[in-house]
Amino acid sequence: MASDNKSALLRRQRANEHLNSPLLQPMARDDKDLSYDGVQARLDERIIDAAAAALDDGQTHYVDVPGIAPLRAAVAEHLRDSAAGHYQESNIVITAGMQEARFLSMQMIGENFNSIALPAALDPGARKALGTRERQPSFLPVAPARGYLPSVDAIAQAAADGCRLFYLESPARLSGAVYTAAEVAAISQIAADNDAAVIWDQGLAPWVAGAYASLAALDSDCARTAAIGELASGMGLASWFIGYIAAPARWIAALQSQKQIMAICTSTAAQYAALGASEIYSELHAPRLSALGALRADLAASAAALGIAVVPGAAQNILCLQVTAAQRETISAAGFAYADGSHFGASEVVRLAVNDAAAAALGALT
Amino acid sequence: MKKKKPSGTSLLYQLIGEARGYDDAIVLGRGDPDFDTPPHIVAAAKRAMVEHYQDHSPPQGLLALRQAIAERVKRVNNIDVDPETEVVVTNGGQEALFLMVLAVIAPGDEMIVPEPNYNTYADSLAFAGGIKAEVQTYAESDFRADPAAVRAAITDKTRALLLVSPNNPAASVISPADMREMLEIASEHDLMILADDIYDLFVYDDFEHISPASLPGAKERTLTLNALSKSYSMTGWRLGWIVGPADLMARVTELKAAISGGTSVISQHAGIAALTGPQDAVEMMAEAYRRRRRLVLDALDAMGVRYGMPQGGQFVFADIGFTGLDSAEVAQRMVSEQHVLAYPGSAFSKDRKDYLRMTFLQPEAQLREGLRRMKIVIDKIVAGK
Repeated sequence: MASDNKSALLRRQRANEHLNSPLLQPMARDDKDLSYDGVQARLDERIIDAAAAALDDGQTHYVDVPGIAPLRAAVAEHLRDSAAGHYQESNIVITAGMQEARFLSMQMIGENFNSIALPAALDPGARKALGTRERQPSFLPVAPARGYLPSVDAIAQAAADGCRLFYLESPARLSGAVYTAAEVAAISQIAADNDAAVIWDQGLAPWVAGAYASLAALDSDCARTAAIGELASGMGLASWFIGYIAAPARWIAALQSQKQIMAICTSTAAQYAALGASEIYSELHAPRLSALGALRADLAASAAALGIAVVPGAAQNILCLQVTAAQRETISAAGFAYADGSHFGASEVVRLAVNDAAAAALGALT
Repeated sequence: MKKKKPSGTSLLYQLIGEARGYDDAIVLGRGDPDFDTPPHIVAAAKRAMVEHYQDHSPPQGLLALRQAIAERVKRVNNIDVDPETEVVVTNGGQEALFLMVLAVIAPGDEMIVPEPNYNTYADSLAFAGGIKAEVQTYAESDFRADPAAVRAAITDKTRALLLVSPNNPAASVISPADMREMLEIASEHDLMILADDIYDLFVYDDFEHISPASLPGAKERTLTLNALSKSYSMTGWRLGWIVGPADLMARVTELKAAISGGTSVISQHAGIAALTGPQDAVEMMAEAYRRRRRLVLDALDAMGVRYGMPQGGQFVFADIGFTGLDSAEVAQRMVSEQHVLAYPGSAFSKDRKDYLRMTFLQPEAQLREGLRRMKIVIDKIVAGK
């Protein structure tokens, strides 16, 4: 017999535009998948050894809800050392990947605010996380020339209109564009002047060439900025789903409570792997960033030679291109998958992961 | 300002934190088996770190694992599911539980929950904006969820019926006859059924576990969760699943993508090894729990402590009301004075302040010692000390 109850809940879901946003994966499906924003890398044997040793030591049980203490300490230390926050171990919650970090931070910090403002173009995963419960989002205008980052003026206007919670990406997940130090200082001042809070997605920051300005670094008292991101980005751990939230103390209890409710804790083996990765991160990351930078420069030059505009971006692992419908079709016909800008809120662009296959994708346009 | 006494989950954390400070603590609280994960599963995970770390997993999980889950729920639970569209892998049973509630409950909807029950159901309902419609069960009838009481609790806002069998914390098992009646009620009132089968391999004496989705006509309205945490001692791997009809599972998949995106591929390969490899470790653990259960019940009998007979699961819900103290105070004294951790019933239901939940997830020697120490505390309380 047909169920009216079930039909009603399925109708509700179909009408939930945010929840139905697509989810982009952190890693490639195959050699021609350029839709991801992680960095594919070999999993170093030392990381495997660290995880295997933990398993051999009987670490197959639940661990503390916010994560194992040494990993939380390592995350806090890494954020401090990379000028990406003043957090202590007690400010850190280890999550089952970036999407859980988005969900937990938006939903639980969001409970303290009437509304949340987000960039009009942002990772579709953020909209999806927002769609799990009724919320009142407002969207900040963006433009391609600024890499789809909302302007400081737009943020100030939203604050003046009464918004007290912002979700911002820097680097932007679509383009890799970052706020300058001056812009970050201005955003920090807006937040302070309006007693506003910011969820700051800095997950792509490790792939920025040169200086990176984190809003969390200006929040010296850890009072109003929650930073989120992937853990051990580019270390071969994308499929292990591990991320972090670094948040002011006043929100930690709610974040931990919800983490307990929805997962109890993050995979123990993944946490020990990430801890192992933290010990060799500085050794492995720099050459990977350098190699990506060179590859991205070549790709940008190839695009320019084809008359394709490159959207400004500083993150070296992605490339955002303004392409025609015909060029999209050509790329797709050659078997390559890209991240469609329309899924972010910018239908005029596509995003490619920077790797050797991206050169072949652009080559299909010649 | 007077300091508020901790309650619910915060009380549990306080007790856990205190117990952790004692080298000789005996933990009869958290549902974490003392056995480590069987070696062949750990070995498979290590292999996956080398061979499969670049496997791409969609939000619903690796197809190979979903196939293994489909085979398992057919073999153990007699539920037919299509691994392509009717299985979603989750970060443990806990995420499965949260997703099931989110999938069927909207703000203002009521869900019938036999009480006492695992506190996370109430927390998940609160997140979804739903309302818990409690149906009380009692030790005198071994915490049987009475279908008549369920029927009486239905209102025009009721959307779902929760059936946890064996139950946590009361360890009752819903009989096949009662389960059929529950399905009739759900069909008559067009309710979704949320079935929690996580303890389905741990049923004692002559009791029989039946999955509601295995009954004729039930599958289309039933979401069923399970996990490897309890049966394979894999709590740290965070691996569970939901199975159900394709239309509802499409909604579960969207929600899974929204809240966590995916599940560790390494854990998923460990899960494939667990479900498809040798099962002797599962039987060994089940046999150990049978022995331990008997040991605990004998000790409680000797203390004069009443309980609902644990028909399944991994714990005993014991009535310590005769002490005259709230179980939160008893649990606190057990930790502080004898370094034994048990969970107060008030953490599971506000009406169960006379109860303690005690797991039998420790080796027998530890259990004996824990119960000996518990008796010291109980005797002191009864003696007015």
